Amino acid sequence: MLDRTDEIGRLIEPGRVHRRVYTDPEIFELEMERIFGRAWLFVGHASQVPKPGDYLTTELGRQPVIMTRHHDGSVHVLLNRCTHRGPKVVNERCGHATRLVCCYHGWTFDMDGTLVGVPVPEGCAAGFRKEEFGLARAPRTGVYRGFVFASLSSDGPSFEDHIGPMKGNIDDLVDRAPDGELAFDAGMHRYAYDGNWKLQIENVLDSYHVPFGHASTVNKDGVQFARREGDSKGAAVIASDKKSTAASWKDRKSYIAGNGHGWTSNTALDEGKRSSPTFDAYKRSLADKVGAARAEQILTPRLHNSLIYPNMSIMGLNIHVRVIKPIAVDRTEVNIFPVRLVGAPAAMNSANIRLLNVTHAAASFVQTDDLESFARAQKGLRSTASPWVDISRGLGDEEPDRELNATREFATHEMVVRAQYKAWSGYMREAV
Amino acid sequence: MADAAQGDTGSVAGVDRRPFEDFIVHEARLLDARRFRDWMGLFAEDGTYWVPAVPNQPSPLDQASLFYDDRDLMKTRIDRLEHPRIHVQTPPSRTAHLVGNVVVDAADDAKGEYLVGSTVIMVEYREDRQRLFAGRQQHRLRRDGASFRIVQKRVDLINCDSAFEAMAVPI
Repeated sequence: MLDRTDEIGRLIEPGRVHRRVYTDPEIFELEMERIFGRAWLFVGHASQVPKPGDYLTTELGRQPVIMTRHHDGSVHVLLNRCTHRGPKVVNERCGHATRLVCCYHGWTFDMDGTLVGVPVPEGCAAGFRKEEFGLARAPRTGVYRGFVFASLSSDGPSFEDHIGPMKGNIDDLVDRAPDGELAFDAGMHRYAYDGNWKLQIENVLDSYHVPFGHASTVNKDGVQFARREGDSKGAAVIASDKKSTAASWKDRKSYIAGNGHGWTSNTALDEGKRSSPTFDAYKRSLADKVGAARAEQILTPRLHNSLIYPNMSIMGLNIHVRVIKPIAVDRTEVNIFPVRLVGAPAAMNSANIRLLNVTHAAASFVQTDDLESFARAQKGLRSTASPWVDISRGLGDEEPDRELNATREFATHEMVVRAQYKAWSGYMREAV
Repeated sequence: MADAAQGDTGSVAGVDRRPFEDFIVHEARLLDARRFRDWMGLFAEDGTYWVPAVPNQPSPLDQASLFYDDRDLMKTRIDRLEHPRIHVQTPPSRTAHLVGNVVVDAADDAKGEYLVGSTVIMVEYREDRQRLFAGRQQHRLRRDGASFRIVQKRVDLINCDSAFEAMAVPI
């Protein structure tokens, strides 16, 4: 039996992970139960359901859920399963309704999940109590600056314990909005690949792969294509000797702060002054609201990518939020939301949206090569030549960062991946 | 600009659609031949290539798109397609476009500007897998001597809001 904790424990060793972690359907089932069935998961952003009656549908692990805005303004995370015979109650990805009505027999639920109507009520069994048949709710929900999280388990670490170390990373993105809030109203990128979900999670903070994995985005001078509004050129990725990784890239740091979370520090791209009419107008709009000194502080690059384990990441560099959705042991979908900085000039938000098309759309210049690497990893790991996947770079070189209350290492090392597997083991070895 | 009547399936009266059809077929053949630089040459200097990510997307400026390239981005895209280490094109895709149902939706001969609608199907084969893209295209064309330049090519895929595997080549 796989759920023997000692067997799961043997899959993770210092600096290596057993290939079954990526390929074994039984392990995937256990992940759905023990990780996605109880961890704090990002569901959506409150701005996606701005008005009472608004809803969106998504999945937590494989479980269909609805996030609604109730008539009283509260946000609810409901299981999208009719309490009568089981159909998904809401079929659209998003919309607006006064009631949620199941297509099958017409059971009708209020926006907070309360069952308000059963057709032909005289047929209900003696003792049938409507109040017991509301849509199931996620047992626990938590919101931070509009980011809505839910846990499908009624016990476990508190929202504060889980998200606390990453609040500053959320702030780093939200504070860039002159009005101090984000709007998820700029559509989304959806892509999928034939590979395990953890391949994407591991990649989010992987600075080691960039010079080779994204070689096709690097020009003859070792510099990536210019990315952001106001940058005169892209990041230096390859050193001038044309052979090695650029020092500025190698010097980046990665950080962990428990719970599988982590982040990487600013990139080589941030060297030099960022300036263009659009960027300068945005900077003024921020300074008008928060003061010049604070605006300077907010826009001083600190973070590149942040991972909130196990299902979301935030990229301050090009202003997006990414959600990772496991579908099967060898199939994953990813949703990437460009976020609008409320109060910023429309031209700045447009520039961010256009940049994200180029970096993270299914047809982008950057993400496509990662998707190829994920799919090839899944294929390669069919090989039984070695049971082990190596994640040992920098093992033993981790050092405390007392100022940030975190542990740091060079970003081209693999401390962040080891931290993810520490969290993974924690969830997986503890029976539900 | 003379617009085709609402619900009319035919072209604007008096406009010969054949030169437009020839142009669009030529464009599709350049893509199938992976002559991406020549394909880019069909675009006006201010030309854009747009593949929306939702049906009836009103603008590329305030929402995510699958592709929204001006000439600069098109050039970066093509530099990358020609890069020896573009992993997602190792091996490269092979494509076959089929373009049909060509209709001249609007014509302004005085200005030399035309709006041409068509249906496109692209079959892509790569690494033992074949997939199908289908949708409506709209070419905004500007007369350029005996031919045209593309001011905007818009492709509305019928599944534009689905989750795609990596898309490396333009449709």
